[in-house]
Amino acid sequence: MHGDTQLETAGGERLAESLELLADMGRDFARSLDIEVTLQSALTRITDYLGAEGGALFLLEADETILTCQCCVGAANITGLTLRADHGIIGRCVQENAGDIVRDVTDDASFDGSVDTKTGFTTRSILCAPLSVKEERIGAIELINKNGGDGLFDDNDLTLLQVLSSSAALAILNARMASELVEQEKTKRELELAAEIQRSLLPAEPPGPYPISGLNIPARTVSGDFYDFFELDDGRISFCLGDVSGKGINAAMLMAKTASLYRCLGKTETRPGKLLARLNEEICDTATRGMFVTLVGGIYDPKSMTARIANAGHEPPLKRTPEGLYESFEAEAPPLGIAVAIIPEDGYPEFDIRLDGGALYLFSDGVTEGKLVNGDALGADGVRKILDSNADMSLAKRLQSVVAGLDRGGDLHDDITILGIDSRPEELGAHQGGDGSRAAKPIVPRLEYAIPARAARLRDARHAVRRFLEDVGYDGTHVPDIVLIIDEACQNIIRHGYGGDSDQWIEIAVALEVTGLVILLRDFADPVDEAEIEPRDLDDVRPGGLGVHFMREIMDEIGYLPREGGYGNILRMVKRATEN
Amino acid sequence: MEHSIRDDGGATVVELAGDVDLESSPSARTILLECVGNGKSVYVDMAGVTYIDSSGVASLVESFQSARAGGTGFTLIAVSEEVMRVIQLARLDKIFTIHDSLSAARQAGD
Repeated sequence: MHGDTQLETAGGERLAESLELLADMGRDFARSLDIEVTLQSALTRITDYLGAEGGALFLLEADETILTCQCCVGAANITGLTLRADHGIIGRCVQENAGDIVRDVTDDASFDGSVDTKTGFTTRSILCAPLSVKEERIGAIELINKNGGDGLFDDNDLTLLQVLSSSAALAILNARMASELVEQEKTKRELELAAEIQRSLLPAEPPGPYPISGLNIPARTVSGDFYDFFELDDGRISFCLGDVSGKGINAAMLMAKTASLYRCLGKTETRPGKLLARLNEEICDTATRGMFVTLVGGIYDPKSMTARIANAGHEPPLKRTPEGLYESFEAEAPPLGIAVAIIPEDGYPEFDIRLDGGALYLFSDGVTEGKLVNGDALGADGVRKILDSNADMSLAKRLQSVVAGLDRGGDLHDDITILGIDSRPEELGAHQGGDGSRAAKPIVPRLEYAIPARAARLRDARHAVRRFLEDVGYDGTHVPDIVLIIDEACQNIIRHGYGGDSDQWIEIAVALEVTGLVILLRDFADPVDEAEIEPRDLDDVRPGGLGVHFMREIMDEIGYLPREGGYGNILRMVKRATEN
Repeated sequence: MEHSIRDDGGATVVELAGDVDLESSPSARTILLECVGNGKSVYVDMAGVTYIDSSGVASLVESFQSARAGGTGFTLIAVSEEVMRVIQLARLDKIFTIHDSLSAARQAGD
């Protein structure tokens, strides 16, 4: 009798201890964000508590055919060891989703002695329990060689291990779900940032009636379509509309590249056929195999009301005369990016379109192939009908009305992009109360320049900036200051961002806004810690610190734009316009 | 950046011309330090300097400090308005000895 009471008491105490251990571990699991550390400490406690010589926690890898040891306790370090998931005693435990005591391994045919051979350890008895949540298998915990007593694990040990394992399994599942959510959020934010960058590549809509207007509506966050237009020195306007094959982030990147290239090369190459040929060379050279871009590019002369265009495999531009007659211009050449050799020496074929009071429209195929709300395709006819009924609206409103009829709810088929050129913009539309204000107010003058991050190239940047500021009539007394601080900011990027001369780029944008001069510098180096950008004391004149001092002296605002998703550091500096 | 070095009455006159920027300031630094190291007073003729940045200014400062440490003279002459602006921005206009010309410097005893 006496012995039974002792046993009972002992059993009760043991139970209480077990529950406490369970509760502790449960709390740890709920609290910790670092699942690996938590599992290690949990395994150690379980192994100690159950009095085993060693223990190991295995996790099933992706395809559930391999068990990898995540952590272990005891003499033999087998972390990282992999086993086949159907192998050995632990494999059996996982497959059958059931705990097991193997009192003497020499009696069990499933026992795999090869691990012992490698580690020099001798396994005599095994206790194991699966890590699973309902039917979802995650892995297993295995304890080896009970210390003391008869060296055998008992049923109480097994029960306790099973309960602890369930708790651990739940914790692992939770941690995995949490990290998947974080990944999804990250991807979402990267796409949003890419979309923002793409939007910034689209030209700003000029205030007031202007011969050209465009509209871009991506189907998903990022677009494979784009359009652009910008004025040349002589008042002619360079324009384009393009469509990248494919969808998603690859298409978006090729879109950004093509749009930037068009703008960059188009400033000096004013022959559309040649410009497209150069674009074609660049894209053939560097684009992912199999991707291509259809593009219409051209120059519009508002004085002669004529557009000269070249068409690389794109939807035919559509001309509408003031009398309501239509004409379309089929492409005679393939898209950009197919091959260089198939384009004739003097470039893509060009042709002139006289507008004479009429208008010209460029579309992506998301417009003509778009579905109406009733399910029919809009088609070329549909576009013409809309243009007919909205002929007396302003250009921008006309473009919006074409798009408005398309069904954009639900799963959108394609990006929608449309660009219009109107040779009589000032006669149309309710703008400024129809006071007949003149067309073509200039867009914000803007310099976009890029240099490889090399000391030898700073001179080019200085010249480009100086020339731009002189061209736009920026206050002469301040021009050298601005040139200096852009040089200094670039030096900081070279020195601190790239760690010396590098083939990576520095992008420079200077815009003369009404409120003042806005300068943006982008580099692709590691993130900058703004707190570390402090000007030095003059006693400690070193090139880097002095440069920052200059920047702070001359500019009114300096700061980094928030950096997200790996698109580089963007430094923004503003010099406010002074009241005269 | 180009430079020339000549002797004038026992002092060294270093003429600098062109942009003294990140690319060329290391060589300006080497040249100036070497001249200062010879133990003679150095006059830096900046008439031909079209641009200077913080790295160029730092080269001047280093040579100036070296001359001070060695007890020899270091003077800037013929500094243009633009270059002066940068030196003023660096608050070094009261630190350097600056004169319009070599004769003016000598007259002032520098």
